[in-house]
Amino acid sequence: MLRETAERFLADKYDYRAFRKSVDSDIGYAPDMWSAFAEMGWLGLPFAEDDGGMGGGAVEIAILMECFGKALVIEPYLASVVLGGGLVAALGTPEQKQELLAPLIEGRLKLAFAHEDRTPTTAAARGGDYLLSGSKATVLSAPVADRILVSAALPSGANGVFVVPADAAGLVLKPYRSVDGNRLADIELADVTVPGDALLGSGGDATASIQGVIDRAIAAISSDAVGATAAMVKQTVEYTRTRVQFGQPLSKFQVLAHRMVHMRVAEEEARASCLLATLSLDGKPAQRTRAVSGAKAKIGRNARFVAQNAIQTHGAIGTTEELPLGAYAKRLMAYEIMFGSTREHLRRYGALIADPALAGAGLLLEPSV
Amino acid sequence: MDLTLSPDDIKFRDEVRAFLKDAVPPDMRRAQALTTGFASEPEVALGFHKALVKKGWSVSSWPKEYGGTGWTPVQAYIFETECARAGAPVYNGAGQRMVGPVILKYGTEEQKKKYLPGIISGDDHWAQGYSEPGSGSDLASLKTRAVSDGDDYIVNGQKIWTTFGHKSNRMFALVRTSTEGKKQDGISFLLLEMNTPGITVRPIHGNGGDHEFNEVFFDNVRVPKSGRIGEENKGWEVAKYLLEFERGGALQAGRVRAQFTKLAKAVQARCPDDPDILHRLAALGTDLDAMEMIDISVLSALQSGANPGPVSSLLKLRWSQLRQDISELAVDAIGADALKFVPERPLFESLQLPEDEEETLTQTPRYLNYRAYTILGGTSEIQTGILAKAMLGL
Repeated sequence: MLRETAERFLADKYDYRAFRKSVDSDIGYAPDMWSAFAEMGWLGLPFAEDDGGMGGGAVEIAILMECFGKALVIEPYLASVVLGGGLVAALGTPEQKQELLAPLIEGRLKLAFAHEDRTPTTAAARGGDYLLSGSKATVLSAPVADRILVSAALPSGANGVFVVPADAAGLVLKPYRSVDGNRLADIELADVTVPGDALLGSGGDATASIQGVIDRAIAAISSDAVGATAAMVKQTVEYTRTRVQFGQPLSKFQVLAHRMVHMRVAEEEARASCLLATLSLDGKPAQRTRAVSGAKAKIGRNARFVAQNAIQTHGAIGTTEELPLGAYAKRLMAYEIMFGSTREHLRRYGALIADPALAGAGLLLEPSV
Repeated sequence: MDLTLSPDDIKFRDEVRAFLKDAVPPDMRRAQALTTGFASEPEVALGFHKALVKKGWSVSSWPKEYGGTGWTPVQAYIFETECARAGAPVYNGAGQRMVGPVILKYGTEEQKKKYLPGIISGDDHWAQGYSEPGSGSDLASLKTRAVSDGDDYIVNGQKIWTTFGHKSNRMFALVRTSTEGKKQDGISFLLLEMNTPGITVRPIHGNGGDHEFNEVFFDNVRVPKSGRIGEENKGWEVAKYLLEFERGGALQAGRVRAQFTKLAKAVQARCPDDPDILHRLAALGTDLDAMEMIDISVLSALQSGANPGPVSSLLKLRWSQLRQDISELAVDAIGADALKFVPERPLFESLQLPEDEEETLTQTPRYLNYRAYTILGGTSEIQTGILAKAMLGL
């Protein structure tokens, strides 16, 4: 149902020209599209019904993100809903959820999550306030966010997440564009003062929740990558049916037919890896990490294989911005790098399966006691 | 879809584990661990098969009225995985997984009565008579001739790559009953007894030193027509049905997982700090997880003899590659030990060394033998051609 609705809506409203228009605009997305997403209920998809959401789970997010990947959706869904909203839902007090999730779901508030430290980010207590200092790298959609969630070391040594207005004094954004058209920023924080209730939750260590939300984001963006991969395979097959050389369509050449089968099989493996990650998000941490990092590494590898071969099979036109193909290739390139590269996740996965018990464990899980 | 096992599944798994504890004694486990070919020696496998018979599990995937278990796809998966983990022999593939489903679908009542009991009991060993010297990938060009003579056929010709042909008492064979029309339309599917006068078996030794394959020669061999499955000249449909079982019908995840686990342990023991080996091991792990997930996704199609369809070509293509990749990394991980080669077979009789040294000596033969995985049962190129049609419509 969700898939059909999303596919129909995006096929109708979100073609390559719409994508290019958004990417080339000053803000890098289409506000009217964002409002439409709110009307479709997508901005509330993963949140509990009590919080005004649709009560969807990882599977629903995966379905929507795959559709987004296919359609090259560039709106800040991952940063705002999956990461930002996800953190609020995981950590926030009822009041914070009320304050942040309601406008987020209605499309009036956008979030970003500043996590990766360039220099250590700390929160010093002063009176009832906190002073945040440090610097952050690669903050997805920060230039379009109204509030930025900032992770920082609390005086206790535990990690916390703070809700910081994007225009707070002492917070400086260095915005830039990513290869696939997203807006990102590096962020400097110099004694940014926020009130005590800007800390999400009640002061416990947020490390596990942060990792959980990031794993959800990796699973979500993996679904996006599967959608983009599938689109590249499909467009390549269609192209070879119509492109005639040496008196026959390219699809009749066995060397190309076999190459496209290998691309299609790579897509199918990527989809399976992604499904494994999606279904493991609520499992034990080791199982979740294994599935998520395994998927990131496997899909990254397969996506590169598909993208390169799609371009090669198209010939010269595949190397240009004339076709959507290039946009998919760049989207997949960004996927490979974001939230830890293929190499980093392969190392993380490898460290886990160094334990023979995990290497030997099949994918079906025992119920957690 | 949910990856979490239900309490009933856990109960079933524990029952399988308890069964395997007794059914796979240490010497059997060792014999299987030292098997470097594709299947266990029939005499090793038979002991396991007999235990399965006693438990009522010997033809688990068949319909219940023919001795099957009625397991859910998840239960079948659990069973295969636990067997692999316990190091149980790979038993009676040609009977249970290949000709059995064919007889169930295309056989007459009489044929079912004649052939099924021996498959269920494990007393019959079946050989596959498909390939010929001139008909490998182009299987339908086969020439072994069956000429009608009253109630019999007179068979002349030659089969090749006959797995355990030297230890089989029965064979299912594709024979040419007509040279008219399309080559596919002149083929019949024939069951025969290997002790029939005029049959000669000659061994073919693989690069890995194992004798699994054979040539089988037919010199005026008289075979009753009652052994024909399906109509005369309609054997190609039957043959293709069987091939889909051969390619994808068996759940492979458990076996490949067990192979991978041994590799992971060997890497830990031999080269735990080699970044190249560790990188490749992790990449293989992610390949394996993806394939296992595909296996789980198609489980329901395999239930009770249902034809797995074109996805079986994808499974065959990728599982065969993965087995090769694991065997390749296993050889690379043992360094100069890969030079050592013990030619005598079976290894469980010729070796008397500590377990890890014995294990090391299996890697080179396995690496060499496993080159055949991407060739037998339809080469990777053939599977890719099938997938071009089935998945891409080309």
